[in-house]
Amino acid sequence: MHELGIAGYLIEVAEQHLQRAPHGTVRRLLVRIGEMAGVNPDSLDFAFTCLQKGTGVDGARLEVERVPLAVECDACGRRTPVADYVFRCGACGAETVRIVGGREMEFVSIDADDPEEAACAPD
Amino acid sequence: MHLIDVQTGLLADNDAIAAENRAMLATRGIYALNVMSAPGAGKTSLLERLLPLLATRWRVAVIEGDIVGSADAERLAKLGLPVEQINTGGACHLDARMVHHGVHDVVHGPSDVLVFENVGNLVCPAEFDLGEDDAVMLLSVTEGHDKPKKYPLMFRRAGLLVLNKMDLLAMTDFDVEVAVAAARDVHPGIAVIRTSCRTGEGIAEVAAWVERRIAAKRGRPAPPSPKAG
Repeated sequence: MHELGIAGYLIEVAEQHLQRAPHGTVRRLLVRIGEMAGVNPDSLDFAFTCLQKGTGVDGARLEVERVPLAVECDACGRRTPVADYVFRCGACGAETVRIVGGREMEFVSIDADDPEEAACAPD
Repeated sequence: MHLIDVQTGLLADNDAIAAENRAMLATRGIYALNVMSAPGAGKTSLLERLLPLLATRWRVAVIEGDIVGSADAERLAKLGLPVEQINTGGACHLDARMVHHGVHDVVHGPSDVLVFENVGNLVCPAEFDLGEDDAVMLLSVTEGHDKPKKYPLMFRRAGLLVLNKMDLLAMTDFDVEVAVAAARDVHPGIAVIRTSCRTGEGIAEVAAWVERRIAAKRGRPAPPSPKAG
């Protein structure tokens, strides 16, 4: 349920960025969510849809880019995917692995029309 | 099309306040522990047993998180320790902002050790850093041994797994070996201690683990005299 708070923060940050940059209609917000991040993309999308009305990102689409879970091995240096949350090196089996992908919870970018485009666009 | 680069963490505000909390605690060398579990696993019962042991050496304060009510805070206040109750008002976890004032008060008080008792939940608390040094999680044997596979983030985050309600083990199908193996798949380095808050089994071991962590933070062994400043 914390997705509601995260969606609120997303909109707040988006509005701050949009205030600083001249822009037309906001089309898309891109977020990157790792496989092992404690946020559910569907819940986040639902919360975003509920909260966006009347804000600077009203009508924009939330796009979620998923990142698979991956580790890098301290022993052999290889980067391998993690299956079933078993944290072992996929190459040499060592336990000394660090997560290098799959924990992301990032607001990447905003796509908006150019300001001129917006001025000319019919309502 | 106009692309605005944002590149910020979705929990950036929580992480920034958690970093402030951590820095405040560091100014006085206060060790902070975040205790997490599903509802009813025995967090408060563990603290009722554990904190008196820690309190023989350290001045301990507690920040108690619950959705509503103060039942747990009242139980812990009977130990004679300062307890601050935070009601999250429906939120499923403590976050760094909610505990910020409490941390501030602790830093300006006499305490050496701060314990956060989080809201009972295996999902959301795992993602919210409070500024603690260590995270401990309880798994009670009545919950089932499959939990590490179902809630991997929590098991990955915790430095210590407390397997609680061991006195009930015979009444359950809980397989300790399977649970420990599953926890170590998710987190190979996780420490595991078996406890019963009814019989007192394992509580001294948990206290010893915490003592080692406090000593590691302070960069020296725990002092022999109680509550030495």
